[in-house]
Amino acid sequence: MIELVTTRYAYLVVVVLLAIGVYTMIESSNFVKKIIGLNIFQTGIFVFFITGAYHVNGRSPVVESGGGGGPFVSPLPHVLILTAIVVGVSLTAVALGLVVRIHESYGTLNEDTLSEVLADD
Amino acid sequence: MTDIASLRPALAVAVAAAAVVPILASGRRPNVREGWTVLAAGGAFALVASMLPAALDGTVRVSHLGTLVAGVDLSLRADPLGLLFATVASLLWLVTSFYSIGYMRGLGENDQTRYFAAFAASVAAALGVAFAANLVTLFVFYELLTVATYPLVTHDETAEARAAGRKYLAYTFGGGVAVLAGTVLVAAMTGTTAFTAGGIAGLVDADPVLSRAAFVLLVGGFGVKAALMPVHSWLPDAMVAPTPVSGLLHAVAVVKSGVFGIARVVLDVYGVDLTGALGLGLPLAVVAAATLTLASVIALRQDNLKRRLAFSTVSQLSYIVLGIAILDPTAVVGGLLHIPAHAFMKLTLFFTAGAIHVETHTDDISDMAGIGKRMPLTMLAFGVAAAGMAGIPLVAGFVSKWYLLIGSVSAEQSVFAVVLLLSGILNIAYFWPVFYQAFFEAEDDHDAKPLVEFPLGGEPRSILPETPTPDSGAVTDGGHGDHGDHGHDDHGYDKHDEHGHDDEHDDDHGGPPADGWERRGWLGGESTWFMLGPILVAMTGAVLIGVIPETAVFLRLVDLIVEGATGVSVL
Amino acid sequence: MTDTLVPLLVAGPLLGALLTVAAGLLDDRAPPVVAVLTLVGQVGLAGWMGSRALLDGPLSNGVGGFVAPYGIELVVDGVSAVIVSLVALVSLGVLFYAVDDDPGGTAFYTEYLLLVAGLSGMSVTGDVFNLYVFLEISGLATYALVASAGTGRSAVAALKYLLFGTVAASLYLLGVGYALVATGTLNMADLSVKLAQVGYDSPLVLASFGFIVVGLATKAALFPLHTWQPDAYNDAPDSVSAFISALVSTVAAYALFRLLYTVYTPAFFEAVPVARDALVVFATLSIVVGSVLAVVQSEVKRMLAYSSVSQYGLVVVGLAIGTPAAVFGAVVHLVGHAVMKGGLFVAAGTVDDLTGARTVDEYAGLADRFPVLGGASALLMLAMVGVPPAVGFAGKWYIALGAVRAGTWPVAVIIFGSTLLTLAYFTLLIERMFVAPASPSVRAATDGGERGLDRPDRPSRVALTLIVVAAVAAIALGLAVTNLQVALEPTLDTLLAT
Repeated sequence: MIELVTTRYAYLVVVVLLAIGVYTMIESSNFVKKIIGLNIFQTGIFVFFITGAYHVNGRSPVVESGGGGGPFVSPLPHVLILTAIVVGVSLTAVALGLVVRIHESYGTLNEDTLSEVLADD
Repeated sequence: MTDIASLRPALAVAVAAAAVVPILASGRRPNVREGWTVLAAGGAFALVASMLPAALDGTVRVSHLGTLVAGVDLSLRADPLGLLFATVASLLWLVTSFYSIGYMRGLGENDQTRYFAAFAASVAAALGVAFAANLVTLFVFYELLTVATYPLVTHDETAEARAAGRKYLAYTFGGGVAVLAGTVLVAAMTGTTAFTAGGIAGLVDADPVLSRAAFVLLVGGFGVKAALMPVHSWLPDAMVAPTPVSGLLHAVAVVKSGVFGIARVVLDVYGVDLTGALGLGLPLAVVAAATLTLASVIALRQDNLKRRLAFSTVSQLSYIVLGIAILDPTAVVGGLLHIPAHAFMKLTLFFTAGAIHVETHTDDISDMAGIGKRMPLTMLAFGVAAAGMAGIPLVAGFVSKWYLLIGSVSAEQSVFAVVLLLSGILNIAYFWPVFYQAFFEAEDDHDAKPLVEFPLGGEPRSILPETPTPDSGAVTDGGHGDHGDHGHDDHGYDKHDEHGHDDEHDDDHGGPPADGWERRGWLGGESTWFMLGPILVAMTGAVLIGVIPETAVFLRLVDLIVEGATGVSVL
Repeated sequence: MTDTLVPLLVAGPLLGALLTVAAGLLDDRAPPVVAVLTLVGQVGLAGWMGSRALLDGPLSNGVGGFVAPYGIELVVDGVSAVIVSLVALVSLGVLFYAVDDDPGGTAFYTEYLLLVAGLSGMSVTGDVFNLYVFLEISGLATYALVASAGTGRSAVAALKYLLFGTVAASLYLLGVGYALVATGTLNMADLSVKLAQVGYDSPLVLASFGFIVVGLATKAALFPLHTWQPDAYNDAPDSVSAFISALVSTVAAYALFRLLYTVYTPAFFEAVPVARDALVVFATLSIVVGSVLAVVQSEVKRMLAYSSVSQYGLVVVGLAIGTPAAVFGAVVHLVGHAVMKGGLFVAAGTVDDLTGARTVDEYAGLADRFPVLGGASALLMLAMVGVPPAVGFAGKWYIALGAVRAGTWPVAVIIFGSTLLTLAYFTLLIERMFVAPASPSVRAATDGGERGLDRPDRPSRVALTLIVVAAVAAIALGLAVTNLQVALEPTLDTLLAT
């Protein structure tokens, strides 16, 4: 157990981040907090990918001329996550845009209040 | 039997289906619209009839129209069994077309364009059912038939009609699902669904449990439209439709498509031998026998003439199923011959019920005392057809019942012969009172109807005549309570050409006018020839089948079918 | 076969989206024109590529000259050819409706084209991470489109959809992560080989399967992951609900098909039967619960939405059973459902515009007043129920045949029974439309008089044409299904070979 914590602590971070993210999304009735939860959740996944790329004693994957020079950290997950971060940012932007619209229309960001308002419509 | 490629089977279906378009397009000109209906009906019948001579010589015309799903052709095949059904349906469509004109115009019904279009579509689907060369094609037309008939059932657009329509769809689509499931099982077991005289070979080696399951699904599914008990109850409710619909569709095309499906399954999918070997004939026969007895008993207590006829249909359809289920060649001949026999007789009966409704707005038997004065020809036709139903010689019903009796005895299942005879007696019991009181009773002086009017078990007054008030017929159902209020002068025949009676006849159950039925002559003064003609034609058909069954084609056709399916010729 | 034009299937609409923005700066009327032209081009390209892929075998292209498995590979095989053509055709059709019905501004058409790009990308990509990116692109565009109704309600629905959709896509990404850790590759074809080498019972592979399936099932709106979908369909603008109901979940279900059969392959199901069983249970539950929920809805659009939950259940059952007939049936039903449901949503939108009727009861008497609209809608509904010879029947036939051949009896029973459930909600609507006395809203729409808002007095030609075309297509597809089967046979044979 101890060994797991010391050698695989990065995965623990992943699990904790995912859990916090999901919990926030479910528990909080405030839309902005839900979006924050979503971001934390995604961050957990990003960390998971990056952790998977790690190589003991690995160096930055910059190949010198003539090749060789390993071992390298796998560059692929980094590239992927760069893309995923961009996607995540766009999503957050759209989500916040929608939140602004909701606030303009109903004057609240609380999910429970909102469902009461919508039921009255 | 040789197959030749021909477009005629497809053309017959196409003529009926194509008629929908000009009928809808000429909705504003009723005469043109009805012209199209008659033209299409005549064309379809001519096409079907043109295939008969070759079919009797053993030539089968087949139209291939492509592939429906993998391994299943969309093809139409005019084999003897298909032609039997198609001839009945298309000939009677022609007759019914004229009757529809008289009926719909006589009542000034709404939405006549939709009515005639849906009628043509229904007959097209029925012809498709008849000619379908495999189970899947049959299923396709079987479902289309349900859809096409729905607007006819709900034609009145009243709450009652909608409820009947809902029930109709639920029952028949439910049956359709069972048929589909059975079809899929057969396809999965044998890789084919094509009808083969004597049965699909692959089924003999198939897992008997699955084979039985598929049989139950198929027959159960078709049994819904064939109104086998306990899935019959949509049929009496569907009587809310206009009478020509009840006549052609709910006594001929739709219900017979169910019976026809059962015949196909027993004769051309499983084959008589395999059905017997799997032990499936007897249970089906028992269900049919129970249905035909029970339905006859229920019919005794129906006061509404159309409902009584509906239960009679339920009962008579089971004659056909029983004949097939006995699995004896002679019995099968009787069963199949009952398809045209019952069609002609029951159509006559429904037509008379409709004529009475149009002329006098009378629907209940208890209001019909003395109506023979008013509608002599109509009621005479009723009497002839009813006699046929009971199996009295010289009318069609006798011939088919004869073969049924011989068959059940020779198959050593004499108990079914007893059931058939008993049912004949019940037939007389529920038809005779109608005829009797039409001709032999008077409006203001008629006997009580113990079975209809009294509680079960009878009551002391059952042997005495009822108190002679003009409205005495109203005891049976609550709807009659208003008779006394608006008097009798606003019912009846003299109103039918005026506007506004539509609202009236919904809550009016008719009955004789205050001064009794007017006496009309025997030369057609009672109604229009648009209605009388079809009634007499249908009645004549029933008599012809009874007198000269072989010349009237049907018996020879039936014999050919049975010879193909069992190898035994009965004639 | 390598073909350098494959990326155009994605690049075309993307470029069109950019051009739309530019055109919008010049002239307000230009964006719809650009969008239509782009999609006409897309239809031509997809049709051309698709027919070649069906006739000559798969076309592929390593984007940017990086060869697979290192670069991103785009592949058009038989099934993706069908889907990408479907996307192009339906999006063009619905675009006409959008232009006619509620023309939005530049943003609307840009998002529309982005969505088409995303969906086309999902259809042709051969790379699991690339699929994620396209999933998110189409997701983003959809959220924006749903909110484009401009109401507060639509914003709420869009946000709800966004939260669900993003979690779903993230779960999918997590699954991809597991697969990447297990195999070190992202190329689908390459993955299928390496996953087998790793061993199908490896926890990594199982975890990746689980996350991917749950992620895509949420996008395809299977019960109980469907809760975003009815609101999104109901509150979006009419043209958008027609579009997303027809395509978005369809392509998600296609992605599931792609993952199951290209990446995990039938061998995975052989090795881990519990995965198949779980998927079957999941999907059959969806069929039943979706139908039941549809029956109890009073609003027509919501009813149609829940009906989709059930229909996608049917598709996934077909995929999970995995016999050739069942998988082909699933593809047929996917295509058929897109056509039928798209047509029905256009019809629902048109009825709303004409009469303001939104509930089942308000539809009463509709067909008497608008016979063509009512008749074509009824045809589509009956096709959906599975009345032959329409395409709804064909799909059901193959899936049922597959289930029976595979001996999964309970599933077969549910497939047949689901017909009756479908019937239950559609006949209710048909009965109202045809044989019930007209509802106040329908009466108001035709008698003039107190027509509060300025409503059109007859359905627009464009909408009517689309509905009729959808109805005709539903029947034509049903009759042409064997041709499709012949065309898809080589592709499916390759995919299903164990």
